[in-house]
Amino acid sequence: MSNESSTTPLVSASYDRRGLFRIGGITVAAAAFMAACGNPASSAGELGRVGNGEPNPELPEGKVNDGVLLRTSASFETSIADAYQRMVDEGLLAPASSTFPDLGDQTELVASFIDHHRKSAETFNQLALEAGAAEPFTCGNPRLDSAFIDPVFERVTNGAPATDTAKEIAPSDDPTRDMVNLVVTLELLSAATSQALVPQVTQASFRAEAMRLAARSARHGALMSLKINPDQYVTSTDLQNANPAATTTVAPTTTAQDIAQPETGDTTAPAAPPSTEIPLPVAIPGQYGSLAPITYIGGAGDENGVRLKLNFETPSLNSMAYDFTTCE
Amino acid sequence: MNVSKGTPRVEIESTQSGVEAEQRLPRRGLLAAGIGGAAVSLLPFFSGRASATTPPATDESTTTTAPPRRPTADDTALLAAAMQTELTVEGLYRQAIGGVSGWTEQQAAVMTTLRQAHLAYANSLSGLLGKSAPSTRSEELFDEWKSSFSGSTEDVLLTASDLESALVATHLDLLASLQGTNGAALIASIQVAESRHVTALRNLAGVTDEAELLVDEEAESLLGAG
Repeated sequence: MSNESSTTPLVSASYDRRGLFRIGGITVAAAAFMAACGNPASSAGELGRVGNGEPNPELPEGKVNDGVLLRTSASFETSIADAYQRMVDEGLLAPASSTFPDLGDQTELVASFIDHHRKSAETFNQLALEAGAAEPFTCGNPRLDSAFIDPVFERVTNGAPATDTAKEIAPSDDPTRDMVNLVVTLELLSAATSQALVPQVTQASFRAEAMRLAARSARHGALMSLKINPDQYVTSTDLQNANPAATTTVAPTTTAQDIAQPETGDTTAPAAPPSTEIPLPVAIPGQYGSLAPITYIGGAGDENGVRLKLNFETPSLNSMAYDFTTCE
Repeated sequence: MNVSKGTPRVEIESTQSGVEAEQRLPRRGLLAAGIGGAAVSLLPFFSGRASATTPPATDESTTTTAPPRRPTADDTALLAAAMQTELTVEGLYRQAIGGVSGWTEQQAAVMTTLRQAHLAYANSLSGLLGKSAPSTRSEELFDEWKSSFSGSTEDVLLTASDLESALVATHLDLLASLQGTNGAALIASIQVAESRHVTALRNLAGVTDEAELLVDEEAESLLGAG
């Protein structure tokens, strides 16, 4: 080692004139570099950028007004009508139901519902134009179709393919049961959608017209419920409340779980897990019109017996037919 | 072995502490340069973020005037009439349940459930109206319908379904006039339920015609009838 190191301390070297120039130069260079990386077109209010990539795409602003709300209602009605049309066209309501042997063919009744929902969609679109919407929304609701109605049809008619972690799921064990239950669900949704519209729109005339249409949808749901479950007009809870002293047996509120399960008599074989219970609809499901999610359960159970379960909900921000939403 | 590996360790130490060391950037200088550069580079971020949290000067999303939530003075009169009507209907159901004989268990359960529902509607409207709520039913309307709530159980069920249809029409009239959204929302939730009552009562009375069950023609509104 040399003794020179001890005679030239590092501290003094870092503060000589050359060192200061060097530090200043590096700082200025860094600042210049960062400034060059920024977008010269950027203005106050925008986040600074590093690099020269394309600017973030500017998403259209979703404004919720009367026109958008009414266009959304129109889209829901169209989706419901399209779903019924598919049931009729594919003959999904005609086969006898093993779960509801006395149900019969409901194709004609559901076909009559289509007309109501098409007219409802036209009415909502007309109101939307009155409310200032640029154009009507004449197709189904993309969110309702893709996340709810299409998956139900897919699961009922085709089942689900096997994946790395789950076995294949067979098509529905009773497609007619699943379709009439879907009709009840969609009629409840139609009525609830109009009801939810009432406190959101600004004009009283829009509210009255929406509820006129809701009354018809509510009755569709009640009638179909009575076709499915003829002896149950009110919920079992309401039945008990109506006659607390009664000791009669309350009708079951769900379908039999293992109705299609063959009895093998082999007690050593492991029993298949019971499938998810499907609640039976009632004509008057509550004292008031409900805005709660409407639970739909259908299709065949998976390897654990779990059927498809979806909660249908009234329109929200992710299902609105905004001004910039088109049918394409 | 050490020779074949290249420069001995002692030489390296010598280089670090030698003249060449003066030409490299001192550690403190590097730190100072780094901090300075970082501060400069963060400036745009800070300025941008500060601007992003600033609320816009104008609210362009509000394009229409929001309706009031509480009932207006005109709403109060309409909702009070609706409450009196519900109390009247509850009284008619009560009279029919007690005065008509021959109810099946199912019919009695449905009629009782609907009576309780109408009482609940009156109570809900009373809660919304507060001190403005009427405390009595409409005797005029009660007398008008009283005689119809007699006869066979099927007759009463059909009369009740007609009354429920009239209630639906009444509530539609109310909705066309109400300005406050709280009152409108409550009436809407009642109206949807009463729509279902009509179908259920007619089905219970033995009606099978789907046009009747779905009520192609709504009954006349009761607004102003009592």
